[in-house]
Amino acid sequence: MESSIKSGRGRKYTNGEITVYWKPESCIHASYCYRELIEVFDPSRRPWVDMYGATTAEIIRTVNMCPTDALTWKWNDEEKNRDVDPSHTNHVNFRRPELLKDETEAQSEPVSVRVMPQGPLIISGTFTLKYDNKIKEVEESAVSLCRCGASSRMPFCDGNHRKSDFKDD
Amino acid sequence: MEEKKARLKPQAEIEVIPEGPIRIKGNIILSDVRRDIFESPEGEIYLCRCGRSKNKPYCDGSHEK
Repeated sequence: MESSIKSGRGRKYTNGEITVYWKPESCIHASYCYRELIEVFDPSRRPWVDMYGATTAEIIRTVNMCPTDALTWKWNDEEKNRDVDPSHTNHVNFRRPELLKDETEAQSEPVSVRVMPQGPLIISGTFTLKYDNKIKEVEESAVSLCRCGASSRMPFCDGNHRKSDFKDD
Repeated sequence: MEEKKARLKPQAEIEVIPEGPIRIKGNIILSDVRRDIFESPEGEIYLCRCGRSKNKPYCDGSHEK
Protein backbone atom coordinates (compact mmCIF):
# COMPACT_ATOMS: atom_id res chain seq x y z
CA MET A 1 0.00 0.00 0.00
CA GLU A 2 1.60 3.20 -1.16
CA SER A 3 0.93 6.05 1.22
CA SER A 4 3.84 8.34 0.51
CA ILE A 5 3.73 11.36 -1.75
CA LYS A 6 6.83 13.19 -2.85
CA SER A 7 6.55 16.97 -2.82
CA GLY A 8 8.96 19.87 -3.18
CA ARG A 9 9.05 20.16 0.59
CA GLY A 10 10.11 16.62 1.41
CA ARG A 11 7.80 13.64 1.68
CA LYS A 12 4.49 13.03 3.33
CA TYR A 13 2.82 9.87 4.58
CA THR A 14 -0.76 9.32 5.71
CA ASN A 15 -2.93 6.68 7.33
CA GLY A 16 -6.12 8.58 6.51
CA GLU A 17 -6.30 10.14 9.96
CA ILE A 18 -3.03 12.06 10.21
CA THR A 19 -0.28 13.05 7.80
CA VAL A 20 3.39 12.81 8.77
CA TYR A 21 5.85 15.06 6.96
CA TRP A 22 9.48 14.06 6.47
CA LYS A 23 12.07 16.74 5.80
CA PRO A 24 15.37 14.83 5.36
CA GLU A 25 17.67 17.86 5.38
CA SER A 26 16.60 18.63 8.99
CA CYS A 27 17.42 15.19 10.38
CA ILE A 28 20.25 15.18 12.95
CA HIS A 29 19.98 11.41 13.50
CA ALA A 30 18.90 11.64 17.12
CA SER A 31 17.23 8.27 16.39
CA TYR A 32 14.19 8.67 18.65
CA CYS A 33 11.84 7.70 15.83
CA TYR A 34 13.15 4.22 15.09
CA ARG A 35 14.18 3.44 18.67
CA GLU A 36 10.66 4.19 19.83
CA LEU A 37 8.65 2.84 16.91
CA ILE A 38 10.57 0.64 14.48
CA GLU A 39 7.25 -0.76 13.20
CA VAL A 40 6.57 2.64 11.62
CA PHE A 41 9.98 4.26 11.21
CA ASP A 42 12.45 1.75 9.78
CA PRO A 43 15.43 3.36 7.99
CA SER A 44 16.36 0.05 6.33
CA ARG A 45 12.96 -0.29 4.62
CA ARG A 46 11.64 1.48 1.52
CA PRO A 47 9.51 3.46 2.01
CA TRP A 48 11.01 3.87 5.44
CA VAL A 49 7.72 5.07 7.00
CA ASP A 50 4.82 2.61 7.29
CA MET A 51 1.81 4.54 8.59
CA TYR A 52 -0.10 1.33 9.25
CA GLY A 53 2.57 -0.14 11.55
CA ALA A 54 1.15 1.36 14.76
CA THR A 55 -1.79 3.35 16.07
CA THR A 56 -2.25 7.03 15.33
CA ALA A 57 -1.64 7.86 19.01
CA GLU A 58 1.70 6.02 19.01
CA ILE A 59 2.81 7.74 15.81
CA ILE A 60 1.92 11.18 17.21
CA ARG A 61 3.77 10.45 20.47
CA THR A 62 6.89 9.39 18.55
CA VAL A 63 6.88 12.23 16.04
CA ASN A 64 6.62 14.69 18.93
CA MET A 65 9.98 13.35 20.20
CA CYS A 66 11.86 14.43 17.08
CA PRO A 67 14.13 17.29 18.23
CA THR A 68 14.02 19.07 14.85
CA ASP A 69 11.38 19.66 12.17
CA ALA A 70 12.54 16.55 10.28
CA LEU A 71 9.34 14.79 11.38
CA THR A 72 6.10 16.75 11.86
CA TRP A 73 2.44 15.77 11.73
CA LYS A 74 -1.06 17.13 11.38
CA TRP A 75 -4.65 15.90 11.45
CA ASN A 76 -6.20 15.35 8.03
CA ASP A 77 -9.40 16.88 9.41
CA GLU A 78 -8.41 20.57 9.22
CA GLU A 79 -10.88 21.50 11.99
CA LYS A 80 -8.80 19.52 14.45
CA ASN A 81 -5.63 21.48 13.58
CA ARG A 82 -7.05 24.78 14.85
CA ASP A 83 -6.54 24.29 18.59
CA VAL A 84 -3.72 21.85 19.09
CA ASP A 85 -2.16 21.60 22.54
CA PRO A 86 1.44 22.95 22.54
CA SER A 87 2.55 19.72 24.23
CA HIS A 88 2.33 18.34 20.69
CA THR A 89 5.69 19.92 19.94
CA ASN A 90 5.96 18.57 16.40
CA HIS A 91 2.50 19.45 15.15
CA VAL A 92 2.97 21.52 11.97
CA ASN A 93 1.35 24.52 13.73
CA PHE A 94 4.53 24.84 15.82
CA ARG A 95 7.27 23.49 13.60
CA ARG A 96 6.28 24.03 9.98
CA PRO A 97 3.41 26.52 9.71
CA GLU A 98 4.27 27.01 6.03
CA LEU A 99 2.71 23.59 5.35
CA LEU A 100 -0.65 24.70 6.74
CA LYS A 101 -0.56 27.90 4.71
CA ASP A 102 0.10 25.99 1.50
CA GLU A 103 -2.95 23.80 1.96
CA THR A 104 -5.19 26.73 2.86
CA GLU A 105 -4.19 28.53 -0.31
CA ALA A 106 -4.78 25.44 -2.39
CA GLN A 107 -8.30 25.25 -1.01
CA SER A 108 -9.24 28.84 -1.75
CA GLU A 109 -9.01 28.48 -5.52
CA PRO A 110 -12.04 30.37 -6.89
CA VAL A 111 -14.74 28.55 -8.81
CA SER A 112 -14.63 29.31 -12.53
CA VAL A 113 -17.98 30.17 -14.14
CA ARG A 114 -17.58 30.37 -17.92
CA VAL A 115 -20.29 31.50 -20.31
CA MET A 116 -19.64 29.61 -23.55
CA PRO A 117 -20.58 31.54 -26.72
CA GLN A 118 -23.82 29.98 -28.14
CA GLY A 119 -23.35 27.26 -25.56
CA PRO A 120 -23.73 26.21 -21.92
CA LEU A 121 -22.40 27.49 -18.64
CA ILE A 122 -19.30 25.60 -17.57
CA ILE A 123 -18.72 25.67 -13.82
CA SER A 124 -15.47 24.17 -12.55
CA GLY A 125 -13.76 23.90 -9.17
CA THR A 126 -15.02 22.88 -5.73
CA PHE A 127 -18.61 23.88 -5.04
CA THR A 128 -22.09 22.67 -4.10
CA LEU A 129 -24.78 22.36 -6.74
CA LYS A 130 -28.45 22.39 -5.73
CA TYR A 131 -31.07 21.21 -8.23
CA ASP A 132 -34.33 19.19 -8.14
CA ASN A 133 -34.15 19.09 -4.30
CA LYS A 134 -30.74 17.42 -4.58
CA ILE A 135 -27.39 18.65 -3.35
CA LYS A 136 -24.34 17.55 -5.29
CA GLU A 137 -20.85 18.14 -3.87
CA VAL A 138 -18.49 18.82 -6.75
CA GLU A 139 -14.81 18.55 -5.83
CA GLU A 140 -12.19 19.74 -8.31
CA SER A 141 -14.46 18.87 -11.19
CA ALA A 142 -16.89 20.54 -13.60
CA VAL A 143 -20.53 20.62 -14.66
CA SER A 144 -22.12 22.00 -17.80
CA LEU A 145 -25.48 23.73 -17.32
CA CYS A 146 -28.05 24.50 -20.02
CA ARG A 147 -28.40 28.15 -20.98
CA CYS A 148 -30.74 27.88 -23.99
CA GLY A 149 -33.78 26.23 -22.34
CA ALA A 150 -33.91 23.33 -24.84
CA SER A 151 -32.02 20.58 -23.00
CA SER A 152 -33.86 17.34 -22.34
CA ARG A 153 -31.72 16.58 -19.30
CA MET A 154 -32.19 19.78 -17.35
CA PRO A 155 -30.46 21.49 -15.68
CA PHE A 156 -27.51 19.99 -17.56
CA CYS A 157 -26.54 20.73 -21.14
CA ASP A 158 -27.18 17.91 -23.64
CA GLY A 159 -25.99 19.71 -26.76
CA ASN A 160 -29.50 20.59 -27.93
CA HIS A 161 -28.60 24.29 -28.31
CA ARG A 162 -27.17 23.37 -31.70
CA LYS A 163 -30.56 22.06 -32.88
CA SER A 164 -32.65 24.82 -31.31
CA ASP A 165 -32.29 28.33 -32.67
CA PHE A 166 -30.57 29.62 -29.54
CA LYS A 167 -29.43 33.19 -30.08
CA ASP A 168 -26.83 34.17 -27.53
CA ASP A 169 -27.36 37.93 -27.64
CA MET B 1 -6.13 0.18 1.79
CA GLU B 2 -7.82 3.20 0.38
CA GLU B 3 -6.26 6.53 1.21
CA LYS B 4 -8.78 8.99 2.60
CA LYS B 5 -8.57 12.27 0.80
CA ALA B 6 -8.90 15.44 2.81
CA ARG B 7 -12.13 17.08 1.68
CA LEU B 8 -11.78 20.47 0.09
CA LYS B 9 -13.95 23.29 1.27
CA PRO B 10 -16.63 24.32 -1.25
CA GLN B 11 -15.88 27.79 -2.57
CA ALA B 12 -19.30 28.57 -3.99
CA GLU B 13 -22.95 27.60 -3.89
CA ILE B 14 -24.75 27.09 -7.18
CA GLU B 15 -28.54 26.74 -7.11
CA VAL B 16 -30.73 25.89 -10.06
CA ILE B 17 -34.01 27.59 -9.18
CA PRO B 18 -37.07 25.64 -10.43
CA GLU B 19 -38.66 27.54 -13.34
CA GLY B 20 -36.07 30.24 -12.73
CA PRO B 21 -32.43 31.25 -13.16
CA ILE B 22 -29.17 29.87 -11.77
CA ARG B 23 -28.20 31.55 -8.51
CA ILE B 24 -24.45 31.71 -7.78
CA LYS B 25 -22.87 32.88 -4.57
CA GLY B 26 -19.30 32.65 -3.29
CA ASN B 27 -15.69 32.87 -4.39
CA ILE B 28 -16.05 32.77 -8.18
CA ILE B 29 -14.67 34.22 -11.38
CA LEU B 30 -17.32 34.87 -14.01
CA SER B 31 -16.04 35.02 -17.56
CA ASP B 32 -17.82 35.63 -20.84
CA VAL B 33 -15.38 36.24 -23.68
CA ARG B 34 -18.12 37.39 -26.04
CA ARG B 35 -19.21 40.18 -23.72
CA ASP B 36 -15.77 40.99 -22.38
CA ILE B 37 -16.73 39.98 -18.83
CA PHE B 38 -14.02 38.79 -16.44
CA GLU B 39 -14.91 39.56 -12.85
CA SER B 40 -15.36 38.32 -9.29
CA PRO B 41 -18.84 39.54 -8.41
CA GLU B 42 -19.66 40.44 -4.82
CA GLY B 43 -22.84 39.00 -3.37
CA GLU B 44 -24.95 36.72 -5.52
CA ILE B 45 -25.68 36.70 -9.24
CA TYR B 46 -28.54 35.23 -11.27
CA LEU B 47 -27.78 33.77 -14.68
CA CYS B 48 -30.31 33.10 -17.45
CA ARG B 49 -31.03 29.46 -18.32
CA CYS B 50 -34.16 29.84 -20.46
CA GLY B 51 -32.42 31.60 -23.37
CA ARG B 52 -34.83 34.54 -23.40
CA SER B 53 -33.06 37.19 -21.30
CA LYS B 54 -32.24 40.48 -23.04
CA ASN B 55 -29.41 40.98 -20.56
CA LYS B 56 -27.41 37.75 -20.98
CA PRO B 57 -25.66 36.13 -19.28
CA TYR B 58 -27.82 37.55 -16.49
CA CYS B 59 -31.49 36.82 -15.83
CA ASP B 60 -33.90 39.70 -16.54
CA GLY B 61 -37.11 37.93 -15.53
CA SER B 62 -38.11 37.13 -19.15
CA HIS B 63 -38.75 33.45 -18.22
CA GLU B 64 -41.94 34.57 -16.49
CA LYS B 65 -43.43 35.99 -19.69
